[in-house]
This record gives sequence, C-alpha cells and structure tokens, in this order.
Amino acid sequence: MQIKKLKWLALAGVTAVAALIAACGGSSQSPLTAQQKIKHVFVITLENKNYDDTFGTSTQNPYMTGTLKPMGAHLTQYFGTGHVSLDNYIAMISGQPSTKDTQMDCMSYNDFVQTGTTSDGLPIGSGCVYPAAVKTLPDQLKAKGLSWKGYMEDMGNDPTREASTCGHPAIGAVDKTQSPQAPSAAVPAGDQYAARHNPFVYFHSIIDSPDCGSNVVALSKLDADLASISSTANFTFITPNLCNDGHDGDGTGTAGKGCVDGKAGGLKSADDFLKVWVPKILNSPAYKQDGLLIINFDESTNYAMTQTVDPSTKKVSINVAYHGEACCGQQIGPNITSPTTLTFPVSASMDYKLVFENFGGDRTGAILISPFIKPGTVSSTPYNHYSLLKSLEDIFVPGQYLGYANQAGLVAFGSDIYTN
Amino acid sequence: MNSSSRKRLIFTWPLAAVTAAMALLLAACGPQQGVTTNASSAPPTPSSAQMAQLGRLVFFDPALSASGKMACATCHDPQHAYGPANGLAAQLGGPQLDVPGLRAVPSLRYALNRTPRWFKEFQSNPIERAIDTDSVPTGGLTRDGRFDTLHEQARAPLFAANEMANASPQAVVAKLKQAAYADEFRRLFGDDIFEHPDRTMDGMLAALERFQLDDPSFHPYTSKYDRVLQGKAELSASEQRGLALFADPSKGNCASCHLSAPGADGSAPLFTDFTFANLGLPRNPRIAANADAGYFDLGLCGPERKDQAANRKWCGMFKTPTLRNVAARKVFMHNGVFTDLADAVRFYATRDSDAARWYPRKNGKLERYNDLPPELRDNIDVLDAPLNRRAGEKPALNEAEVQDIVQFLRTLTDEDVRRL
Repeated sequence: MQIKKLKWLALAGVTAVAALIAACGGSSQSPLTAQQKIKHVFVITLENKNYDDTFGTSTQNPYMTGTLKPMGAHLTQYFGTGHVSLDNYIAMISGQPSTKDTQMDCMSYNDFVQTGTTSDGLPIGSGCVYPAAVKTLPDQLKAKGLSWKGYMEDMGNDPTREASTCGHPAIGAVDKTQSPQAPSAAVPAGDQYAARHNPFVYFHSIIDSPDCGSNVVALSKLDADLASISSTANFTFITPNLCNDGHDGDGTGTAGKGCVDGKAGGLKSADDFLKVWVPKILNSPAYKQDGLLIINFDESTNYAMTQTVDPSTKKVSINVAYHGEACCGQQIGPNITSPTTLTFPVSASMDYKLVFENFGGDRTGAILISPFIKPGTVSSTPYNHYSLLKSLEDIFVPGQYLGYANQAGLVAFGSDIYTN
Repeated sequence: MNSSSRKRLIFTWPLAAVTAAMALLLAACGPQQGVTTNASSAPPTPSSAQMAQLGRLVFFDPALSASGKMACATCHDPQHAYGPANGLAAQLGGPQLDVPGLRAVPSLRYALNRTPRWFKEFQSNPIERAIDTDSVPTGGLTRDGRFDTLHEQARAPLFAANEMANASPQAVVAKLKQAAYADEFRRLFGDDIFEHPDRTMDGMLAALERFQLDDPSFHPYTSKYDRVLQGKAELSASEQRGLALFADPSKGNCASCHLSAPGADGSAPLFTDFTFANLGLPRNPRIAANADAGYFDLGLCGPERKDQAANRKWCGMFKTPTLRNVAARKVFMHNGVFTDLADAVRFYATRDSDAARWYPRKNGKLERYNDLPPELRDNIDVLDAPLNRRAGEKPALNEAEVQDIVQFLRTLTDEDVRRL
C-alpha cells in the first residue's frame, strides 16, 4: 500500500514537473502537435553496435544508412543505458535501471526480490523478473485503453525450448534461450529467439496477465496485423532473432563467423531484416495515417582488452573493459555499483575479467522515420533509452513517466526531431 | 573368431532373412500407393513413409558391407535401443570383421531428429565473444558432431575401413542391385535407377535418414521415467533421491547437460543438450589404437574430424550423449573406458579428489588425464560441479548418492530394451 501511495504521489509530482518543463525551453518546449498526432509507434531494436561502425565505417548496412537514414531523423547522440543487453530493453519499457542480474542477462530467470524503495520510488533489490507493482509502458497503455504488441522473431520455433507466445523460462530455471539453436530435422528453421531481448517477459504485471499470451507473439503474426489500422497496435515492439538483430555473426560471411543458421549476421543480416520489414511497416495503413518508426540499438561495444599474467601462479587474465559512456545525466540506480569487475574462470590457468568502467551503454545512434519528420533531419541532442520511454509516454500517456524516464531534466524527443 | 564375433554373426543372419521377407512383402503391396509419377520419364517422388520403409530394409541388410555380415543394425541393435549388443569398447568391422573401431557405439534412440547442425555461436560483440564460457560447441551427428544431417552421416560407415568397408559407391550400388528389395528401389525411384549410381546412393541415404527420423522405434518413450512424467507411475525413494541429486547444480549437476526436465511444451526430456564437454577420461587400453602411445582421439579437433583441427582449445571435447537407456549398456563414455554404470557416475564425483582410482601410474607418477597429450590437458573441465573438486577435497557425491543416481538412471530404460 505504502509503495502504491508513493507511486501516485510521484506521478502527481511528475505531472507538475512535466508541465513546468513544457513551459520553460529546451526541446521539451516544442509544441506537442506531433506527439499528439502520432498514434502508432513501431520500435525495432538491434544489437551491440558502435555508432562509429554503424554510421561510419561499416559497408554492411547500406539500406540502413543510405536509404533509411535520409528518410527521417538521424539521432547522432543516442546512447544505450547499460551493458550487456537485457538492462537496456528493460529500461526502454519501464525506466528501471540495471540490476546485477539484468546487467549480466539473467542466465537464470529469477524473480526480482525487492528489499526497499528509493526516495524517487525505484525498487531496491536484485533479480530479473519485477514484481507486479513495478509498472511498464504496456501497463500504462492498457490503463488508457490503448493497445500494444511485442513481435519476437523465432519465438516458438522449437516448442520444447519456449512457447510461441509470451515465451520465457519457468521462474528459477536456467534460461535455455541464452544460446541460439541451429536447425535440426525437427526444427528446420532453428530457433534464435532470446528471452533476454524480449523486455515484456521480465515483468509480472505482464507475464501474469493473459495479455502476455495475446500480445507477445511471434514475428510471423505481424504481416496480418499490419493489414489494417484496427489490427495494428498503438505500440509495436519488434525483436529480430539473434542473427537478424546483429547480435551474432560478423556480417562478412566468413566460415565460422556467421550465425547458427548459416547467415552472415552482424550489420549485414540486420540490414537484410530491415529491408524486409521496414517497407511493410511504412506501407501499412496505421503508419501512413499517424505512424512513427524507431530503429535503435540496445548498446554499443565500446571496449578495451588487455592481458595480464600473474608472475607467481602464471595464471593468465584477459581483461575486457566496457567504457560504459553515458549521457543525459543518467543515474546509476540503487542496484549496481560502478566501476565493477566480474571474473569468469575459463580453465585452471586462465580467467576473464569483465570490467564495467562506467554504467552507461555507450553511443549507438538511432533512426526515426515518420510523416511528422522531414527527410534528412539530424539531431545531435543526447538521448538514451530513458529519453525514448519518456518520448513514448509523451505520445501515449503525457505526463506519466516511469522509473528514470521521470528523471529531472530528462529531455524527450522534441522539435529537433518532429520537423514536419 | 572370438565369442563376440560369433554372437554378431548369429545375430546378423536372421537380419538378412528378415530383410528378404520384408522386401517380398513390400513387393506384394499392390498398387504404387503414394508414388507420384507423370506421363514423362521424370523420376517418381516417393512419400516419406515409403522412404522410411525402404530405409528399414537398407538398415537391416548385412549384404551391403564388404564382409557381407555387417548391417547398420549389427552395431545399432534395435533390441538394445539401437546401441551395441555386446560389451566391446569398440566394434570390429572391415572385410574380415577384424578391424577394430575407435569409439564406443552410441545409441541412436531419441536424439537424431532433434540434433541441431553442429555450431558454435559467434557473437559479434568481441567482449561477449571473449567471455562466452557458457556458449560451447553444440550439435552435429556422431560423437564429434562432424555431420550435420543423417543423410551425410549415413555415408560414413558404408565406406569406413573399420565398419562396412565398401570400396566405392559403385560397390554399394552393385549390392543394392542384387538386393531382395531392388525392385522397391525401382518402384520408388524409377526403372533406370541403378543406371545412375549417384542417384541410387542419394536415394539410399535419404531412405536411411527417413527411417531413423520417422520410425517410432527410435523414440518410443516407454521408460518408467516417461510414465512418471505422464502421472502413471511413481519413482521409488532411491530413484527420487537420485533424480534430485542428478539435477542439483551443487551435487551431480548432471542435468546441466543431460536435461531431465520436460520441455516448455511438456515434451519428455531427451537427457542431452547436444553440447560438447571435455571430461578428462582415463585412456582405455581396450581401444586397439591406443596401443600406439602417440595416438590420441581428440574428438572435436580430430583425427576423425578434420575441420576444427586448428582450434586446439576444443581438443578432447566430445558431444554429450542422451542418457536414455544408458543403464542397458555395457560400456560407457566415448572410449568405452567404464564397464560399470556406477563407475561412470563415480568418476564425475571423484576424478580429481581421488585421481589414483582412475588413472595409472608410470614410473611412480600418476598419469592424470592420460587420454590427452600433456599440452592439451588445460582444456579439461575443472570448473563445473562435480568436476571442480581438488585432490583431497570432499567429493560432491558420496557412495550412497552415486547409487541413488544409478537407480534413477535405471528408470530411463525403455520397456522393450534388453539389458546386457
């Protein structure tokens, strides 16, 4: 009860602060016309690419950079909010910061055990699957009578691995979707669904509801849902499989450096995925009427690697460090510390030390396309996943900001982006 | 001729009789049901059922070997869960049935149609790639995973010098042409099939594949544990303790690779996740090739498998087999070094805490991990329980617990399987 009261108080405060911000300059000063007009948002989240690679040196993604980027807004200073994956997805739909478990992708699908609440209403604790009291954008949409759907490529390809709707491990179980599954006689397409790239299944408010079964579905359902405005959700979140989101493979087609289904992966497969799905979205009646397409990345891979040898034991340590650059006044949250070093034993004579120098997710960049965005728009305003959530909330539930989307002074997408 | 060879011969001749009888029955089947032809001379397209029927005839035909006495079923005996019918560490083959094999024959039950193509995930993020200690090589057929499909795999024993030892595809085709079921080949593939050796071989391999994938005898699910999962039986107290120990990550930890829980769709578990592991087994002097002190079977990196030879950290890795019907076997592990199931379990528990029990001494010095060359012994798993105990430390399992696990493993034997 106490938590609920605090939440409503926070919400009221948030609304007031939002009104003040709206009245006092910055990009939030922009008129809300575009945000008010947009009724259908599509998010496609790709994986693990540096801004300088994606929008600089890479030759693997000409569709993304040569076709899509000029069609809308290029956000040159868009940042992830953590490493190594899952914490970014969770931030996008709930504003929750990293926990020690989500920071390491929740190899076991354990409940988040709450031990307290911060002064700004964030749950303190550890674990993966948040209690029902921790709300998400889908909860906000439902409360307002709006619709949402998550489309997960490959989910349910192997029904023994995960269900085809709301696919997730049992609470407390090892997550068998951490590694992709190559094709077999029984599962000819293989199964590269990864629960850790599906943010919806980390909230009891969603998985304990029948909504999860009806709204978190396989990507193969999207074609039919795009056919009419009435069948297209107000908020659509699309997760390609581990190959098509660029997580696996280096994109070169080199033997042994591709995906488990034989594709090249990397930005090459991500680009191929966008070539298929972006035209379908842009040609859908819902998008044409009032749509916004967001293509972002969960995190960057800005890192350094060194090797040390213990002179007495001769044990070799490979030290890999995420720089963890953050933007936008990002806060670390109550559930992790920084810097942090995690050790992974490899053998009797070697280990890896994973160093998080800072708690950000580094710079990735993003692309937004909409009838409300002029082609060729470029914004250098810093944004991160919390900014994204706040921007989505500005569209669907103005003034109601969850978690760190409610961070004081956080800038949402404004007139720098909605240029049309 | 030793007693084992005699047993095999006795077993082989009835197979030939069965094969001939089945061929006659098939030939008398009347209209060519399921065979699709057109007015032109295009080859017919057999149905899956017809292919599986033909595959059965091939599988049981000893005439297809150089010796004329070795069928697929000679080593993969259906009465022994398609595993060996004797206690040899490796079987004898070749034209005179006197050429020893290199590895213990595995059971063909359950795993074949769910075995993924061999893969090792290649993560595009260099950091994730560096620390992916949980992501190990997986899948592929045979103990070193070198075949992606049964179609490819079925060719190997036909020409292996220590198995069926055919000199060439033409030699196999000539035998097929003389087979009692040759007319069945003509019926399914066209009258001129034997004029096209490549097509004949391809048809035979496809038929073998279909039989092994589709025939219900490869996946009967009639063990006591299956009945327990169906709610039709109960484990005894010892079996229950054994299952708990089998699954407990700090005790047996067997289920981390030999998956024992039902799938997401409630399907019965296969007791393998198809991953590769390096257990550091004792060398088996009953493998004839081991008489050469310089010979080492390194599994994933050779000498049978060629394509991963350069990846030295994988040397010594073999694929995790299913444990279904394991209690009906007489030899265990890829090199058949153990002849008692309890020893196989004990080895995991006490490999390093009581190494003198498992490894020989040479010149007074214990030769630990002696089935790998010294420079590759760092590859051996010393991190995962119960293999993480050091010399003098308490084993993860005591003798009573070993016996409980063995009792549980006995519940995995199908009703129709003969105990050796």
